[in-house]
Formats: sequence, structure tokens, C-alpha cells
Amino acid sequence: MAQVVLKDLIKTYGSVYAVNNVSLTVNDGEFVALVGPSGCGKTTTLNLVAGLIPITGGDIVIGDRVVNDLDPKDRDIAMVFQNYALYPQKSVYNNLAFPLQMRRLPKDEIDRKVRDAAKVLDMTHLLERKPRELSGGQQQRVALGRALVRDPAVFLMDEPLSNLDAKLRVQMRSEIKRFHQDLKATIIYVTHDQLEAVTMADKMAVMNGGFLQQYDTPAQVFAHPLNMFVASFIGSPAMSLVPLEASTANGMSVLTSAEGWALPLSPLNARKVAAAKSKKIVLGARHSTIKLHKSAQPGAIPAKVYTVEPTGDVTFVQAFLSGSLVNISVPPAVHVAPDEQVWLEFDQDRIHLFDGETEMALHAD
Amino acid sequence: MTSISNNQAPRSRRRIDGWRWTGRIFLVLMLMYTALPMIWMLLTSIKSGFAAMQFPPQWWPSEPTLASYQKLLDPQNSVGQDFLRFFWNSLFVSVCTTVLAVFVAVPAAYAFSRFTFPGRQFLFFAVLLRNMFPAVIFLVPLFILMRVLGLVNTHGSLILTYLTFGLPLAIWLLKGFYDNIPIQLEQAARIDGATRFQAFLLIVMPLSVPGIIATAIYSFIGAWNEYIYAATFITKNEQLTLPVGIQRFFSENTTDFPGLMAASFMMSVPVVVLFLLLQRYFVRALTEGAVKH
Ligand SMILES: Nc1ncnc2c1ncn2[C@@H]1O[C@H](COP(=O)(O)OP(=O)(O)O)[C@@H](O)[C@H]1O
Ligand SMILES: [Mg+2]
Repeated sequence: MAQVVLKDLIKTYGSVYAVNNVSLTVNDGEFVALVGPSGCGKTTTLNLVAGLIPITGGDIVIGDRVVNDLDPKDRDIAMVFQNYALYPQKSVYNNLAFPLQMRRLPKDEIDRKVRDAAKVLDMTHLLERKPRELSGGQQQRVALGRALVRDPAVFLMDEPLSNLDAKLRVQMRSEIKRFHQDLKATIIYVTHDQLEAVTMADKMAVMNGGFLQQYDTPAQVFAHPLNMFVASFIGSPAMSLVPLEASTANGMSVLTSAEGWALPLSPLNARKVAAAKSKKIVLGARHSTIKLHKSAQPGAIPAKVYTVEPTGDVTFVQAFLSGSLVNISVPPAVHVAPDEQVWLEFDQDRIHLFDGETEMALHAD
Repeated sequence: MTSISNNQAPRSRRRIDGWRWTGRIFLVLMLMYTALPMIWMLLTSIKSGFAAMQFPPQWWPSEPTLASYQKLLDPQNSVGQDFLRFFWNSLFVSVCTTVLAVFVAVPAAYAFSRFTFPGRQFLFFAVLLRNMFPAVIFLVPLFILMRVLGLVNTHGSLILTYLTFGLPLAIWLLKGFYDNIPIQLEQAARIDGATRFQAFLLIVMPLSVPGIIATAIYSFIGAWNEYIYAATFITKNEQLTLPVGIQRFFSENTTDFPGLMAASFMMSVPVVVLFLLLQRYFVRALTEGAVKH
């Protein structure tokens, strides 16, 4: 096992920056999720680490070696592909044996390792089959097996679960997590599903447009998103973002809306707003931190219900506030109807404030 | 509901049957169109010279004989010597063409499919440009070229010429094949410890065997049947290939129809055998290369 360090990694295709100055350190034994919307450069980053495509700039260090110019086979990595990439002409046994054969291990050792891996993944009975004779879930296991027969320094996984149905995905999610705990393996795991990242990873690297947006533990990223993109990408339903205007009323710092109301700020939040470059402030709040009232309350802001989505455990309400849709969760016992007038109360300790121009989270100096 | 479907079912079935029968009749006609000449060729080849010229024709030879075949395959007499030499010449030219075509087309198609390099698009269409003109257009220029190269009356001239016909389509066909093999397979192999070349050799090549076989059959048949270039480039009797050889040979010795038909039949044997052995791959290749999954 080893650590992986990316230093100012750049990959361009023509004038397009697929990966733009990404720096991060994956510690030995850590499970890091690369997460972001489709096309943000996750696969490219992973392929750069694997050595499948040449880097444009920067450095990649695996263990204590700079591997920039090493062939994939010399980097001591294993990879699980989104489409599994099992060798169609080979049996499951030979798929698992291939990496060992290429490393010229003795036959009996290959046999032992293949059978061990098959036992771990509970597919001893499938060894003689061809990949096309397996279900999607079984193919996925073989792909995983082929990665782990070799005990590489680093595991790279590119959306390994995205081709499975929802139920199998949840099951494999816990299996991969278990596998990480048992092996203490260093894993870089690419996914576009923020829930997968949050539930599985020790740390998550949120990417967008080729840039690394934030790299931290899921709890930190969730609690302290560095910018509006991360805030809206992590969490489901997404954090609501409402663009407002900073001003003062009666000597108090407030956020005002074009709708005419003003939201007074706590002293800490007032200091954050004072640090902003402009008057444009974006208010962010997660659904569970907003209180919904059916009558006017001091400090609550008027909003109009748009949709109501009961899920059984909680009911999600979307309401229009100053031209933006806001998600609120309420207990199922609370009944609201579309187009009903409601009042929303924000928790001053749990709201997020962003600079409307730079889209960065605001901090009190 | 049930009464309606009961009423309609037989009528619609009858309409489908009508189409099906039209289709069958059409297929039978097509089959006769392609098979009858072959059958007639075979029948004539086992007649005596006299029986072959009779009118009205004998539908079934009254005294079937294998004399023509014996004559052609007998290395002792001059007819047999010539025929066997032509056969050998054709085999040599066709096999060389096929081997070279596969040898060049496989890496070329792979490169066009997998690598980006300057002028890739241009080169790919340049390769096809050759096939946009009828073959005879190049007859004179190629002849002049061969003369300059001193290749007239050698099998080399034919092999080179047939490659210019066969290679472009071979490359095109194989590229379609490689395009359909996911690049992740090679990437997986390279991560599993293979060099780029090993990944190609151990993983990609076996998967493209149907395409390679199709390419090979295509090149072989093209070279085996070619007439015009062979007739132009080769004048020495001992260098002739079968298509030209048979034609010259039998028009010289007044027309011996059973002999001509026996020779033609034997000429079609290698092609038919190749096809029967490999048709499975050929059909698969033509359909697989065509569609992008
Ligand atoms: N071979 C390539 N040629 C040109 N552009 C590419 C190539 N591969 C990826 N890109 C571009 O790089 C960006 C990142 O792609 P990718 O890493 O596959 O995204 P993700 O895996 O996050 O969905 C995309 O805009 C994509 O169009
Ligand atoms: Mg991807």
C-alpha cells in the first residue's frame, strides 16, 4: 500500500482543460472519492494516475516514486472500469489469472491466488464461465476480483457501480467499503453520485470543470462547503441558494429581497457579510435547518409553496422565496398545499453565506 | 374483444403468408439464377467432347466420364502440366497477396482506430480514394510503373497490384472492427502488466479474428479471380494465372468444352472450400463491422 500525491496536475485536449491544476494527497490506506458532475474530469484524472494517457503538466507520485513517465504496468496499480472490461474470450478463471500470468508467477501460485480471490468474492462456482454468461453483478465481482488478486499499491475504480440496478448497487457499496476496511487498501474511487462518495469515502475530492473544488472529509464538505458549487452538489435534496442584497436597517445588518422583506443577521453572520467584496450575497440553507410556519412569525419570511413531495418519513416542500426555489423538510403530519402562503424561519447558526460575485463561502475575519 | 380478434386473425395471417410465398419464390429464382450455371458447368465437365456439342443438349450425360479431370490433373501430359502450373501460380499470387494484405492492414487499421496523429483523417480518405475509380483506369499507369520497376512478367507485379485493390477495403473493414472493441480492454491489460504490444497481441488480436478472416477471404478471392491485370502484365506462358491461363489455353486448342468446364470447376473449388469453412466469420464480420454498438 502506498500514498498517492498529485501536484498541479494538468491535462489538456487541444484548448480544453480536462484536468486543471489539481493537487491532492491520498494517504496510505485512505479511501478517497473523486466526485463531480459528468464531464468534470474524473475519469481523465484517474487515467492520468493509471498512466493510460500522458500528462500535460504536473507530477504524480505513487509511494515514493514519481511515476509521470512510467508505463501502467510498472505503477503497481489495479483498476476497475465502469464497463468492467473483462476479457470476453477468457473464462473467469483466466480473467483473474491474467495479471498474475503477465507477472510470470509460478502456475501453482497463480492457481492458489485465483482460488483465494474467488472464494473471497464467493464465485468459485463461476470460474469456468465466460463473462457473457454472467449477470451484471457477477461481472462486477469478477472485475473487482481481477483487481485484488494482485495486491497492488493502489486501487483505482471508475464508477464501478453505475451499471448496476439500485438494489445491487447498495449491496456492492457496502461490500466495497468492507473490502477497504479489511485490506486497508489505498483506493481512489470515481463517482458522479454524491451519495456514494459521502457514504463510502474517508475523504472526498469534489471536482467541477476540471478544477478541484474542495478536498476534505465528507462531514467537513457537507458542513462547510467552500463555494456555491460544492454547496449545491453535495446533499440531497440540494442546498437551497437564494441571491439577496446586503444592507443595513436601524443600524442592523440585514439581507434584503426584491420582494420587500429583510432578514436580520446575527453578529457573526454580519461580520461575514461585511467581508464580502460586493453587496450581492447568496443565502444558503439545507432543507432540515429551515423551519416552516403556517402563520406569520417574528423573524420568519413569507414564501409560496410550489410542490409537496411526501416520502413517508418526511415530506419535502419546495417553496418560492425571492424568485428561488427553496427545499424544506417537514414531518409528515404537517399538511401544506401548493400555492399556500407559508413563513420560513432560518437558523442563524446553520445558514451559509456566499459572495454573489466570487461564489465563494464567506468567512468572518 | 375476443370476437373482433377472432374475425381479424385469419385475414391478417393470410396477408403475411402471401408475402412469405412471394419471398420464397423470389429466393428460389435467385438460387436458380446463381446455381444453374454452376450445375451446367459440372454436367458439361463430365461429358465427352462429342456429347457436349450435341443439340438438343443432353440434360444428363449418357456416358458420364471423368476423362477431362484425369487429363487436367495428370502431370505426364502437356495439358495437365499447364493446368497444374497455372493453378500453382494462382495459388502463389493469391496467398502472397492475402498474407501481405493482412500483415499490412491489421496494424494500419489499428492505428487508424486507436491513435490520433497529424493527417489521420486525410490519410484515411486517401486510402479510400483508390476505390472511387474503376479498376481499369489504373491499367496503363500501373503497367508503365511495373515496366519501370522491371516487374512485368513477374508475379510480384500482380501481388502489388492486387494489394492496391484489396488493402483499402481491408483497412476500412478492420478499422470498423477495432472501433467496436472497447479501448478499456487494452487499458485493463496494460494495467494488468501487459505492454502496449502485448495488449494488442493477447487481447485485441484474438477478438478481431473474425475481421481478419473476412479480410483474408476478401483479398484471396479478389486475387484468385482477377483477369484484366493478369492478362496485361503477364505474357509468358509459364507465369500465367488460372483465369487467363484457362482462357488462352482452351481457345488455342479449338474449344474443348468439357475440359474448359472441368478446369473452371476446379478453379472454383478453393474459393468454395474457403467460404464453407469460414463463412460463419465472414457474415459476422460484415454485420459487426458495420454497426456501432
Ligand atoms: N480523448 C479525449 N479527447 C478530447 N476530449 C476529451 C477526451 N477525453 C475526455 N475529454 C474531455 O475532457 C473532459 C473530462 O472528461 P472525463 O474525464 O471523461 O469526465 P468525467 O469522467 O468526469 O465524466 C470532458 O469535457 C471531455 O469531453
Ligand atoms: Mg467518467
